[in-house]
Amino acid sequence: MTTETATSSVRRRPPGRDTGRSPFGYALLAPQMIGFTAVGAVAIIWVIWLSFHHVNALAGTQEFVGLDNYGRILTDPSMITVLPNTFFFVCVLSIAGTVAALLLALLLNQTLRGITVFRSIIFIPALVTMVAWALVWSFIVQPEGLLDALLGSVGIDGLPWLRGGWLTLVIFAVIQLTKNIGINVVILLGALQSVPQELLEAGRIDGAGPPRLIRSVVLPQISPAILMVFMLTVVGSFKVFEIILLLTEGGPGVQSSVLSFEVYKQGFLLNDIGYASALAVLLFVLILLLTAVIWQARKRVVFHEDD
Amino acid sequence: MKTTKQTKHIKRTLNYLFLCLVALVALAPILWMISASLKSPNEILRYPPTIIPEDIKWENYQAVFELQPFTQQFINSVVIMALVAVLTILMSVPAGYALARVKPVASGAIFLVLLSAMFIPPEATIIPLFQYAAKLGWVDTHYPLVVFTAVLVTAPIATFVMRQAFLTLPAEFEEAATIDGSSRLRTMLQIYFPLARPSLASVVVLSCWYSWNQFLEPLIYLRSPEKLTVPVALTHYEDPLAGPLWGAQMAATTLSIIPVLLVFFFAQRHVVSGLTAGGLKS
Repeated sequence: MTTETATSSVRRRPPGRDTGRSPFGYALLAPQMIGFTAVGAVAIIWVIWLSFHHVNALAGTQEFVGLDNYGRILTDPSMITVLPNTFFFVCVLSIAGTVAALLLALLLNQTLRGITVFRSIIFIPALVTMVAWALVWSFIVQPEGLLDALLGSVGIDGLPWLRGGWLTLVIFAVIQLTKNIGINVVILLGALQSVPQELLEAGRIDGAGPPRLIRSVVLPQISPAILMVFMLTVVGSFKVFEIILLLTEGGPGVQSSVLSFEVYKQGFLLNDIGYASALAVLLFVLILLLTAVIWQARKRVVFHEDD
Repeated sequence: MKTTKQTKHIKRTLNYLFLCLVALVALAPILWMISASLKSPNEILRYPPTIIPEDIKWENYQAVFELQPFTQQFINSVVIMALVAVLTILMSVPAGYALARVKPVASGAIFLVLLSAMFIPPEATIIPLFQYAAKLGWVDTHYPLVVFTAVLVTAPIATFVMRQAFLTLPAEFEEAATIDGSSRLRTMLQIYFPLARPSLASVVVLSCWYSWNQFLEPLIYLRSPEKLTVPVALTHYEDPLAGPLWGAQMAATTLSIIPVLLVFFFAQRHVVSGLTAGGLKS
């Protein structure tokens, strides 16, 4: 984030003391960089290479098919459901997730007795593994489970939670959102607590009420943290995987499936490695594009980016 | 005067009500899980369900260990987690120091490459990595869960965290040490590393949490029951015909959560700073 300043300070340093600087630095970076290249770079090149091939896992043969696998994505009827589902999660989880975390952080930033207890409680779901969280929720939403009982007591009868359609997507979004919101709340709380008191004081003297203070002082001050939370939730929202595998396996049909689950299904359940690789590349490109767009847009929204 | 006091009072009550609602949403699933784990098979499927078990049964907890080698699976998870943390530290602390303090030529580009690793979803690389593991003979072993995870995910994030930590330490220490005749290596080991200890705790928490949570990777790499990790094992409390064995599953899930909650209870500050470290700005 501060690469510009990093390179400029290198240039400013007097040249005499720099002897042996680079070799020493590279020696320190070597384990990390060699490992990262040997695993990460190889894996990415490999998955791109595989996406241009038809792989027969049983015979162990690979046949070059060019862009066929990518063409298949365009003609695959299940993609008409899977891609909108993926975008649904990305939009809902990132926007609702960030807004909810911000509101909770503002709520938890007040000085009330016992507030630290509430701050700890909201963090607890983040400590539970995603699998455990998904399993508990699958127990809650099963037919005649806790949710049905609670709604039944107010006269709403057994909704088809896991039988596809928007209801299933919404319940998945709720499960995913509640799991890690505590982390985002704590990040935003940290930012809120570092807003200089003088600024708030000055705003109050100028006659700003609490809503105006939040809009004109607090939000600009914590905008870097909001951006960070937003980026984290965007990246995370592509990874709705455990819930889908454990609750519906993407079903009925592909009604509750997303891109990351299709990669797993095609690659490891249906053994269509070439097609799965093409889907994996698509997933990767989508995440990179989206984060690049957000990163470019940050200058317009984020206050004092350069600090 | 009285009315402002009253509105203040109402506002505070509303705040508490809302906080309690939030706490309920966060805690209810966990409490429900514990309650279900103590019910008899008969009671667990009753409708409408009982909130508190009628009489507490421990047989679900017995079943956890009878159905699967759960102790072994738990040890697997802990060992893998510890190894990931060690490997992460070994790679990220020197790398973070290099990027923050030594700044060799092109360190800006190297930093960007590592930063991009944060955005690679595990689903995108799992296919080549599985083939990689197969070629190395690592299928059904814990090696890929340690090596691939540390190298690809936790160490890059940790490098980012450690870089921020070393950047916030004053550069004057380095100059003073150089004047006193300390070598680069010694300055790093004896002056900067000890000062970065709080961030080291964050890095340990972060990598442990990531490893402990992993699901897709162990699901793909591991086969034999005695090699499984806890998250995958939790999903195996199922009867092929009758579906999930809710009692045993909820008991196992409870057992998997309790140690984490204990750690959180005793080291709350470190846990919180660790899990939020990945998202903190300089």
